[in-house]
Amino acid sequence: MTVDSVKAGSKPAPSLAKRTSWARVFSLREMGVFYALIALVVILSVLTAATGRPNYLSVVNFTNVLYQSSLVGIMAMAMTVILITGNFDLSVASVAALSGALMIGTADMIGFWPAAALAMAVAMGCGLLNGLVVQVIGINAFIVTLGTLTAIRGIVLIYTDGRSLAVRDPDVIMAMKAFEASRHDMAIPILVIGAGLALFGLWRIATKGMAPNTLGMLLGGVALALVPVLSGFTLSLPNLVLYMAACALILWGVLNFTILGRRIYAVGGNPEAARLIGINVFRYKIAAFVLCSAAAGFAGVLFASRLRSINPTALQGTELTVIASAILGGTALFGGSGSVIKTLAGALLLYSLTNGFNILNLGANYQGLIEGLVVVTAAAIYTIGAKKKH
Amino acid sequence: MNDTPPLMRLHQVGKRFGTAVVALRGVDLDIRLGEVHGLLGANGAGKSTLIKILSGAFGPTSGTINWKGRDVRWASPRDANDNGVATLHQHIPLIPALSVLENVFLSEGGFLRDTKGARQRFDALCTQVQYQIDPDVLVDDLAIGQRQMVAILQALSTGADLIVMDEPTASLAAEEREAVYRIVRHLSQNEGKAILFVSHFLDEVMDLTDRVTVLRDGVAALSARTADLTEDQIAEAIVGRQIAALERRSREESAAHVHRFGAVALEARNLTSAGKFAPLNLELRAGEVIGLAGLLGSGRSEILHALYRADALATGDVLVKGTPLRNSPSAAVNAGMALVPEDRNAQGLFPNFELWRNVTLPDLRGVSTGVTPVRDRERQRGADAITKLGIKAHSPDALPGELSGGNAQKITLARWLFSTVNVLLLDEPTAGIDIGAKSDILNLVRQLASQGMAVIIVSSEFEELLAVCDRILVVRDGAIVATRETHETSEHDLFLLAGGKSASADQTQH
Repeated sequence: MTVDSVKAGSKPAPSLAKRTSWARVFSLREMGVFYALIALVVILSVLTAATGRPNYLSVVNFTNVLYQSSLVGIMAMAMTVILITGNFDLSVASVAALSGALMIGTADMIGFWPAAALAMAVAMGCGLLNGLVVQVIGINAFIVTLGTLTAIRGIVLIYTDGRSLAVRDPDVIMAMKAFEASRHDMAIPILVIGAGLALFGLWRIATKGMAPNTLGMLLGGVALALVPVLSGFTLSLPNLVLYMAACALILWGVLNFTILGRRIYAVGGNPEAARLIGINVFRYKIAAFVLCSAAAGFAGVLFASRLRSINPTALQGTELTVIASAILGGTALFGGSGSVIKTLAGALLLYSLTNGFNILNLGANYQGLIEGLVVVTAAAIYTIGAKKKH
Repeated sequence: MNDTPPLMRLHQVGKRFGTAVVALRGVDLDIRLGEVHGLLGANGAGKSTLIKILSGAFGPTSGTINWKGRDVRWASPRDANDNGVATLHQHIPLIPALSVLENVFLSEGGFLRDTKGARQRFDALCTQVQYQIDPDVLVDDLAIGQRQMVAILQALSTGADLIVMDEPTASLAAEEREAVYRIVRHLSQNEGKAILFVSHFLDEVMDLTDRVTVLRDGVAALSARTADLTEDQIAEAIVGRQIAALERRSREESAAHVHRFGAVALEARNLTSAGKFAPLNLELRAGEVIGLAGLLGSGRSEILHALYRADALATGDVLVKGTPLRNSPSAAVNAGMALVPEDRNAQGLFPNFELWRNVTLPDLRGVSTGVTPVRDRERQRGADAITKLGIKAHSPDALPGELSGGNAQKITLARWLFSTVNVLLLDEPTAGIDIGAKSDILNLVRQLASQGMAVIIVSSEFEELLAVCDRILVVRDGAIVATRETHETSEHDLFLLAGGKSASADQTQH
């Protein structure tokens, strides 16, 4: 029961001038995942150069890391959306495995595209089921998806009868190869996109003044444009990486530049307030589950297309890498904040670590330890940063 | 009883927060053993602050607390407790997953729980207060009234001499209240304990207490033996005259029928929600302001939520301009309704959103090109909100957490002023905010009504209702017990209706 004795009569004109706290924009809390990624790349480059191994920063290795992180990247970005809405999905890897198994199991009979569509539909059904159980009955999402993680893996085992499945039809194999791994020279498109972003950012800064998001566009655009320049104007990327880029672009655009995106953040930031403002919180939360499972289903189709076969334990444990990427990207576990671009950087960071261990031949034994430490350190930095803010 | 020295004597106890906020200006209070002392006051009068000082949650900035003859300053709530002051807070801090027995002896240290000894002491306590309850039931399984009893047992188990009870009956049913009264009487008369009984209900204060202190604006406005007082006098002391000018104007306008009402904007037919409030019918016209006067727990907020279609279990119809609404808040918002909720932090504000994002959320289309909100227009709207309501914020980029309560409250109101809203529901819009911000908000309500908006205000500060409403409905125990034209009633009449005298007096009057 505080009593404000200050009179509210005098009204100072509010300043529309944006007061940007650059110290906060560039703080570890906000930008830590990018710093870590840059630092890791620099360290690995120096180490590979110093020890006379193949250069870490080669184009081949760079595209390798992108390729390796794509599946997890796609799932982690969708996971970020579900985390923003205040929920959680542990079942992604099982859903991906189910989707992959269904596709492999049916592609010989009905062809690649119908099989992929079936797999996606079933995956989205799993998401709908997760969402309904969480939102209608009101069980914590962690518990529900821990259950479906196990149960859906069980369905995969039943469907495959515990054995590996493989496709035999050469047409289907061709289609899968083309879908997942055909490569395109993206040097010129990337250069154009990067330059475009940088110029747009520059134009905004010139007309409206410096702001964090326009500066981000400028820096991101320059970085993007530099890649094809440094790679000698050829940059052959597999489809998988392009899919990841497309997902990133769509989710980033929707979350940051649409009414829908604003409402997604609102639903996670304060569900009761969002409900009382007329937002259909129920629908948004269910939709996030469906999106997350759709991404998992897509990842499963891609994974199965890559191997043209599937093993019942495929992707087991991947859900933890997916969640770790989101946490590295600074996504709050209690909803209302998160960024798909930072999550993507988190996924890249994890796969750069793995890749670096392989290149430096450090042995896989230390890998788990280092990755775990990185995740906990990141979480610690975010938590301490959040406390300081208040 | 006056010859016994007081157990606790407060002398000119004051409390300020920061430099600007004064919660208590200097309160004198004597509490004696064997006495039930009633503490009353409107919201914002300083009751909570005083209770927190007594219970050691924080210290006074001026004045002295004399406890059993020596001046003390509690270091912590634990310190106060160890010295014999037990406090029952409004929200009962029991642990649902533990049994009654474990909860009662919760504060005791030690590695092992001494169950046998505890049981004997529990039985002794129960005999002492003449209340029986199974010690092995989980608190989670108890009704709210029984939990209150467990909390009382918990307080007694520490051997306290003074028990501070903060609105112990606010959320209880009638028979549960009786049980609390019985224990309170027993403790003071037979056990010789001192009890500070905080309440909004005048009838129970009259029945139960030996002495009454009324706080108003941080001072003791009245302190006397209950036997020497009438309910009227207490109501008068609580009321004060803060918004007198506004109130007088409103009263005159209401009597002269200055306000012109339009067509029926909102209608409720047999609206009810099981266990929350009885079926009600209501008609609200464009330009009309209706007040729901009721105390905490009377069902007033529940009625408002059901009108807003935010109560999934409510039955009956709500019609806006003659069209029935689907039972969902989005339907209400689409039909032009708006709700400013009671608890701005839990139900109103988005902590991660800047002021402008908080303001534009209900009407994003109005600041968008296609599906894309335009940041400049959004921030401009934030700035407009700041000017319109006199929000004290350094810029539209301020986060709600950086603003004071009153200014944060204005955000939850401001967000509805930029789109077509025909029916505005306000749930305690002025709770815990300063007088300046209060009159800003009340003036705005009157202005909106004159532009044709239909408004319903819920408040436990009846002077505000008198200042802005055309008609006042009194809510008690989940039912509308009386309807009053504003010019026909007074604050103390409302206090009697909402907190004391039964509605039968009302029916005979008309």
